[in-house]
Amino acid sequence: MCLLTDSAMKNAPDCRRFTCAPSSIGSPAPSDRGTETGLTTGRVLGALGLAAAGFLVLRAAERNRLQPQKQADRSRRADAAIQMGRASSLLAGSVFADSAMEHLRGGYHRRAMYVAPAMAGATLAASTSSRARLSRRNADLRDGIYLAGIATGLTGLGFHLWNISKRPGGATRMNNFFYAAPIGAPGALVASGLYGLAAGRLVRAPQMTSRQEGRLVGSMTALNILATSAEAGLLHFRSAFQNPVMFLPVIAPPAAAVALAAAVARPGRQMIKIARAACGTTVATGLAGAAFHVWGVHRMHGGWHNWRQNLLAGPPIAAPPSFAGLGLAGLGALDLLEMEAQP
Amino acid sequence: MPLVEHLSPRAIAGRAPDVFRHGGWVPMREYGDDEEVDFTIVGTGAGGGTLAAKLAEAGFSVVALDAGPFWRPLEDFASDERHQDKLYWLDERISEGNDPIELGGNNSGRSVGGSTVHYQMVALRFRPEWFRSRTTLGYGHDWPVDWRRMWECYAEVEDALKISGPLTYPWGPKRGRYPYREHELNASAEVLARGCEELGVDWSACPTATVSARRGLSPHCVYRGFCKIGCATNAKQSTLNTFIPRALAAGAEIRDLSMVTRVETGADGRATGVVYQRDGQVRRQRARHVVVAGYSIETPRLLLNSASPKHPDGLANSSGLVGRALMVHTNHAVWGRFQEEIRWYKGPPSLAVCEHWNYADDEKDFFGGYAYMSQGPLPTDFAKTLAESEGIFGTELRRRMADYNHMAGLKIVGETMPQERNRVELADETDRYGVPLARVTYSMCENDRQLADHSLEFMRNALSAAGGQELFQSGGTAHLMGGCRMGFSREDSVVDGDGRSWDVGNLWICDGSLFPTGGGVNPSMTIMALAVHIADRIKTLAGQDAL
Repeated sequence: MCLLTDSAMKNAPDCRRFTCAPSSIGSPAPSDRGTETGLTTGRVLGALGLAAAGFLVLRAAERNRLQPQKQADRSRRADAAIQMGRASSLLAGSVFADSAMEHLRGGYHRRAMYVAPAMAGATLAASTSSRARLSRRNADLRDGIYLAGIATGLTGLGFHLWNISKRPGGATRMNNFFYAAPIGAPGALVASGLYGLAAGRLVRAPQMTSRQEGRLVGSMTALNILATSAEAGLLHFRSAFQNPVMFLPVIAPPAAAVALAAAVARPGRQMIKIARAACGTTVATGLAGAAFHVWGVHRMHGGWHNWRQNLLAGPPIAAPPSFAGLGLAGLGALDLLEMEAQP
Repeated sequence: MPLVEHLSPRAIAGRAPDVFRHGGWVPMREYGDDEEVDFTIVGTGAGGGTLAAKLAEAGFSVVALDAGPFWRPLEDFASDERHQDKLYWLDERISEGNDPIELGGNNSGRSVGGSTVHYQMVALRFRPEWFRSRTTLGYGHDWPVDWRRMWECYAEVEDALKISGPLTYPWGPKRGRYPYREHELNASAEVLARGCEELGVDWSACPTATVSARRGLSPHCVYRGFCKIGCATNAKQSTLNTFIPRALAAGAEIRDLSMVTRVETGADGRATGVVYQRDGQVRRQRARHVVVAGYSIETPRLLLNSASPKHPDGLANSSGLVGRALMVHTNHAVWGRFQEEIRWYKGPPSLAVCEHWNYADDEKDFFGGYAYMSQGPLPTDFAKTLAESEGIFGTELRRRMADYNHMAGLKIVGETMPQERNRVELADETDRYGVPLARVTYSMCENDRQLADHSLEFMRNALSAAGGQELFQSGGTAHLMGGCRMGFSREDSVVDGDGRSWDVGNLWICDGSLFPTGGGVNPSMTIMALAVHIADRIKTLAGQDAL
């Protein structure tokens, strides 16, 4: 009789689920993984993306430190540009970490899965560097990166839909929306690219009035918040809202989206003030969400001791900060709307 | 850890094991043997454990006894199939008949929490018509409980266990939303789904008694796949980690390693308490009411062994039906090899279900129905299936086991007919407690065979359609039902619709032995729902001073 209570076996990483692989709770079939060379290329690209992102983040941080006093002098429009840049960075950072983790959970079953974190990394690098310098130098390069990020996000949406549709029952089964590739997640990369482009526009000569700019970014942000909230809602519903705080991202951000939309429609001082508070709450929701997800990992079996499994199977820590990014974008849009609201 | 036979009781000295913490304890109220409690319950499984919680919460004094140990899953359960045999009732029994039942793993449990500690967590409801199968379907017996009442009780049980189930269930009347969401399908479940889609029948994610999200001190299921030998993380919602903690919190006493050998009756024929053995001592617990919840073999055995001058043929047995009409579920399966990796051991073993043949009356020419589920047997279990059904051993068995990660299978829970010749009696030999062994006689009837043959043909087609090759099939049985059926009259049944004996007014039965018919789904939810129903009836009767 075996007298062993084998905790090592219990916690073995092979218990983890593979979201994007065809056999969902199973490991991917190595046969359609492509050649070993292709795999290596993908890994090298991913590593290069990571390194580039890290380098640029550090460089940007360095420059930020050198020019603090200048920020105070910047015009409102430049302030809005900074907010857009931050929004783009936070969203790209969220996608970068989240897609890297979730695609790892999917065993990087297809080489295309490396593209998401790589492009998110590139977008992150572009947005952090633009935030620091706001110069027109390299602007075209940055725009190119944002556009590539947007294209990657859109392609990702298509890939995720395809992943849902090829499972038994396809789009008619909730199981596939709960557990197949998350339907809306790549949209955050699209949003990140759009805010990056917006930041770039805002440091150039205006092509439309600030109110128009504010309305454009404001309505886009309201829609983005609603979409992100819908995704959080779907996944929190999957987890049966087992902790009441899980209702937060389906209540606070949509309220901000409504307030923002109202401010876009009638940019009065009072409405802008309310929307500003709501967007601030959305930022706080995103940051609190990450903290709650850290707690959630602790509440999985084995907690943080079993981090190799629970970081992948537990609540995604990198996902909620996208709300913070969207909240900042909302604040930027309000900056623009406020310019017109002043006499 | 010592062998089960050498374990000592844990629930003593005013405390019981805390199932959620390593080495933890929770306070437990204790009663003296001479203290006449309101209810003493024999067995703490799906029936007894559930009833203990409900009665204690209603304010009754309750002592529940179980022959098995009180485990702490976090520290007592090993990832080892043979070691976990300690969860089964493997005492000697005599099994005979044309189709003798293999008694052990899939039809018994010997733990506080009973067989729910190792059940496969398939949480299905009976089809409404089965509660009136004689009247509406033409076979078996009607139940003395209305299906709508049972469906209320199912809902209560499903909420108590936070069953993770689909948003919409394809068969039967509309039901409320399951408290937790369905689990992700594993590859084995996807095989079932693909087969059903190809054959044009419905399939569903299986309602499952393990949580798909955190629930109190139960963590999200980690999909280890050792569910069938006891869940070591507490994600599985068994009686042990749901109703038993509730019972303790409400003031019930749980006595582990307490084997009840007799229900005692007074001169007036009423039950006065039980005789039991614990830690080598013979003891008596006095009680105003005795509930027997030992499942389809131990309940009849205990009643038959409790004969007295007033009850010469055994307790509650004026009808002669105690031990009769024992039922099993046929457990036939088809297995096949798949080109792609399946790794069917990952996750709960049965994550998808097809209940088509429980509902499609017009398309079949036999009575009863069956459900089939996707499978995920652990290696020893599957090697046994291979060896028994294919007759292979040695190198050939080793070669076939090398395909383990590419296998998938479909297995039925098939209804069998209640035949009175299938029964539990007392043998002449006695066990270590001095109680006569159970002699279990079981023979299938022609209808049972027709149902099994039908299922094998259908599942062969389904598995082929899903891409399975080198198919082979296996037989077997699972679960037990009946033996002390509930009914409408004292001539035709052992107890009434409240689980109360027709003969002995303060003797109750609350387990799977009550089933007049077996149904084509796993019985645990129905046993728990009956316990909820019986507890509610007891409360009502107490309110009317009719106990």
